[in-house]
Amino acid sequence: MKPFRRRGDHVVAGLSAQESEILGLLLEQLDQLLDEDAADVPADPVRARLFPAGHASDAEIARDYRDLTESALREGKAGDLALVRATVPADGGDVRLDDDQARAWLRTTNDLRLALGTRLGITAETGPPDPDDGSQQMSVYHWLTAVQGSLVDAFVSGAGRRR
Amino acid sequence: MAPERTTETATDAEHELDRPWVTVVWDDPVNLMTYVTFVLQDLFGYDEQKASTLMLQVHHEGKAIVSSGPREKMEHDTSRLHAYGLWASYQRDA
Repeated sequence: MKPFRRRGDHVVAGLSAQESEILGLLLEQLDQLLDEDAADVPADPVRARLFPAGHASDAEIARDYRDLTESALREGKAGDLALVRATVPADGGDVRLDDDQARAWLRTTNDLRLALGTRLGITAETGPPDPDDGSQQMSVYHWLTAVQGSLVDAFVSGAGRRR
Repeated sequence: MAPERTTETATDAEHELDRPWVTVVWDDPVNLMTYVTFVLQDLFGYDEQKASTLMLQVHHEGKAIVSSGPREKMEHDTSRLHAYGLWASYQRDA
């Protein structure tokens, strides 16, 4: 990956063909997670993290919150995902994003990291990438961290600050 | 992490109308510190110093109150934070 850099009104990065393919597969998996039945959200740790409880201890408030907000949250995430998908170069190449597209990328790469991080059992003690750890999912997680990290830095530098 | 109070007494009920609601962001092992700071700036218009102070409070103390006001507003703030993947909830101010 060529990390995200700010270029005027846009942020730009470069993906290899393999990275584009992996990102496509991850987006496919996220799409399925967002698509599934809303009723069993709290039972699945990954979906519970993507759609957290609105109240930490009051089940009734948490239920009200879920009824009120979950479908809009779901639509927002699906909309972000579609936007990201449309900007991933099929066979690798440059990714060039305006502010709205960059926000969609920030939210979606965060959701991908939350989903993968929850599955991998990432904790505050999880260290930097370990070259001896052969787990492919862990490598993908650290790759996503590098993508999102460079995107945050590029986005907040300069024009991205405009609201 | 245990809540500071678990039951509401009659005295609390009398004051319920006066107590504002707050939105709390909780510590999370996945979200990047730079991302959390960015989200707080982007959603609430906080300057970098305030956003960064709140982020560090979340990181070191496990949580921070990021906004306060009427219940409906806190509901809304919580859903905006959830859209960005932050671990947030709202509650009556303790």
